[in-house]
Amino acid sequence: MQESFASLFGVTCSQLQKLISIAMEEGGEYADIFFEYTTANELSLRDNRINRAGSHIDYGVGIRVIKGEQTGYAYSETTAMPQMEKAARFAAKIASSGKTLSMPAALRKIEGNDFYPMKRDLESFGIEEKLPFLELLDRRIFELERRCTKVRATINDSLSKIMFFNSYGEFYTDTRPLVSVVGSATFEHDGRLESAGASKSFRAGAEILSGPLIEELARAIAAKGAFLFQARQPAGGEMPVVMAAGSSGILLHEAVGHAFEADFVRKGTSIFSDRLGMQICDKSITIVDDATLAANRGSLNYDDEGIPGQRTCLVEKGRLNSFMHDRISAKYYNTAPTGNGRRESFRYMPIPRMRATYMENGEFSREEIIAGVRKGIYATDFSNGQVQIGAGDFSFYVKSGYIIENGKLTAPVKDINIIGNGPQALGEISMVGNDRTIDNSTWTCGKGQYCPVSCGMPTVLVKRLVVGGLT
Amino acid sequence: MIYGTEENRNETECAGFVLKYLEKQGAQARITLNKGCINTICLLNGKTDRLQMSNDRALTIQIYHKNRYGNFSTNRLEKGELEKFAENALRATMLVEEDPARALPEKELYYRGENRDLGQFDSSIFTIPDERKKEIVLEICSSMEGNRYLVSAESEYNDYLDYQYIIDSQGFEAHSLQTDFDVSAQCSVRNGADARYESSWYESAMHFRKLDYKRCGIEALERGIAKFNPAKVMSGKYNMIIENCCASRVVSPVINGLSGSLVQQKNSFLAGSLGKRVFGKNVTFKDRPHRYGMAGSRYFDSEGIATKEMTFIENGIINNYFIDSYYSRKLNMPVTVESPSVPEIVCRNESGNEFRGPRELMREMGNGILVTGFNGGNCNGATGDFSYGIEGFLFSGGTIIHPVREMNITGNVVSLWNNLAAVGKDPLKWAKWQIPSLAFENINFNGK
Repeated sequence: MQESFASLFGVTCSQLQKLISIAMEEGGEYADIFFEYTTANELSLRDNRINRAGSHIDYGVGIRVIKGEQTGYAYSETTAMPQMEKAARFAAKIASSGKTLSMPAALRKIEGNDFYPMKRDLESFGIEEKLPFLELLDRRIFELERRCTKVRATINDSLSKIMFFNSYGEFYTDTRPLVSVVGSATFEHDGRLESAGASKSFRAGAEILSGPLIEELARAIAAKGAFLFQARQPAGGEMPVVMAAGSSGILLHEAVGHAFEADFVRKGTSIFSDRLGMQICDKSITIVDDATLAANRGSLNYDDEGIPGQRTCLVEKGRLNSFMHDRISAKYYNTAPTGNGRRESFRYMPIPRMRATYMENGEFSREEIIAGVRKGIYATDFSNGQVQIGAGDFSFYVKSGYIIENGKLTAPVKDINIIGNGPQALGEISMVGNDRTIDNSTWTCGKGQYCPVSCGMPTVLVKRLVVGGLT
Repeated sequence: MIYGTEENRNETECAGFVLKYLEKQGAQARITLNKGCINTICLLNGKTDRLQMSNDRALTIQIYHKNRYGNFSTNRLEKGELEKFAENALRATMLVEEDPARALPEKELYYRGENRDLGQFDSSIFTIPDERKKEIVLEICSSMEGNRYLVSAESEYNDYLDYQYIIDSQGFEAHSLQTDFDVSAQCSVRNGADARYESSWYESAMHFRKLDYKRCGIEALERGIAKFNPAKVMSGKYNMIIENCCASRVVSPVINGLSGSLVQQKNSFLAGSLGKRVFGKNVTFKDRPHRYGMAGSRYFDSEGIATKEMTFIENGIINNYFIDSYYSRKLNMPVTVESPSVPEIVCRNESGNEFRGPRELMREMGNGILVTGFNGGNCNGATGDFSYGIEGFLFSGGTIIHPVREMNITGNVVSLWNNLAAVGKDPLKWAKWQIPSLAFENINFNGK
């Protein structure tokens, strides 16, 4: 056990073993203890001044007991033994019979990687060092777009110290950084208002904040603002949609990603429940969920139930290759967990969640794909999405894009929702580009609890989706 | 117990301790203690799937020092830790730039206390046996089981106890205590094809004896089966009825648009609209924060400012924005309230008729699409342009024809609310936002 973490949470090995024994005493088959100490800081700019600072500490421990597919869970915001014992006793109640299993006396550290080494630690990264970045972002947006009237910007950084221990005698410790810069601006022209924003987020140390990163954000926000004055809501209806490389990865996240999460599959509610091993789309399509990308917002050295971070190929050359498993679903399907057991914090039990979900490259250039569309939409900038797991209907919101007419980009468009059916949309991807881009915006997935994720995509052509618009 | 115990006294003392420490350093502050306790039982296909116990507490520290502001929180309430945390928080606040608008509210705006109880607390939360809670979830789950279309059935029971204590440097001190009991049913149903249709239903009450859970499972099941065999519908302009359970989706852009923060940042399509008629003459929104036994009712907001009944849109005219003390100074407008407590829509039906719910509204409108849920989408707050995915049913001659699939509605919030045709009288009794079913004319639907 790493001494510094044990001391941070004020527990000893023998106390952890005692807690596991209490958790297992009603006949539980497996138990784990998840300690977390998160410090999150924020610094905000509005009306050309840094007008708000914040810092938030979240500390506690979650204790989980599994019996078959059933889970008992409780947490405590103190790590005093009486409170932790109370939590362990509550979690134990999920099991009411069965043999009490003993845990191994020897402890074993779970071997993991380091996908987010910090060159410049966050604990000593003070407000004085963050201020210039916000001021630069503010100044550059105003310089780049004269119609800008207001800028709002925030730097968020957090550091989570995790210590995990389970009834197999396994443990790990992990330090998870997350740094985000979020900017938005209001633009005014002839009495018309438009608002645009952009963000960048990384699991990395303070070194990730740099002048070039801020310049990239400022240019993106200013360009989006200018674009919106030209754009209109288009005529809607069913049509081909070319998804630009990058944030269109939300298509995967919503259209198929959630339906590949094995808790939905185990309950039989996913539309893909019966399709493992089947060809579900064109052979040019390979879809991955990956915890191993360096400094990526979705990366994890270990998931939240002690499985090392790994790359999971969900769809390989069009064939449904794997679901995303936590320990419960992996046991149910007699397969290995895939490291997708994640939780928002110690307050939540882990469930299968995505990490960085992306499609691998195909063979076409972006220009070739656009040239193949007679009339459709080229969607470039996306925000929130949603899916109905069972029916497969998904939607995502397109903040900006272009109309495609006779293979050429023409009028700019904005503010349209696109809706489709996951399996059908996947089957209707007819061209995959060779320009895969991982989008490093502040994507956050909600599934009763929030987790940072990311997504990526090459340019793709979906032959038919319903595009929102005017009639 | 999270209230009235020795532990609770220690926690409120912690709040006072931090306040005194900060005042000694020359700062002003507002300290808020939030505590919550949740018990959850979840059944999957008749078997216990999840038992969960949650106890939360956190101290939020808002510091005002020479027109500088910081917002901090911690759940480590040991005094040694707190002093260190408060010291660091003050140091961070002093690095922020001066903003003349940053200060505690004017004292005369504070809630003065002694109003009658709002009927939001049920002490039976401490005595309901676990067996009774299990009986409820089992009954809900059982009511779905045995149906030939059922793939899976889940039921969940939660009870909540929330306590809040606020103290600040100008002598404001108040607390509130609320209970909530809720149940939900969720099911997945299938009729042969690949698609499995999910559906859920939810009931809630602030008093256990008022929890109306009996039809929860049946409602979820019936709503799921009603989704079988959906068909795409042609794009075009249709009448639209939005069912009460999801009607808040088209109200929230209006409420957001009235936010003082967005108005000041020129990030609202309602900026500059005060006193102007923006929506149809039949559109009136009120906030009634003192309604007895309602989930959102409150006598004071998070700044301690007394809430009051307010009409924020009257006959389509924008009467008030939601202005807290900070944006009051920024905008040079009087304080109203930071956000609505129990907003309700009080709309006149032009025909003079009254309609109970969707069924009567469909009869009135004749043809159109009944929206029973939303599937994603968004609204651009600066322009009011929106585009939402929907689920629901095509209706004709006042009766449902078939479920629709893969459809969007697209338009602008201003034109939408100028097309309000009629409203029902069926806001969900437990909902914080009292929004009935709504009927609109001439809405852009995108389908095949």
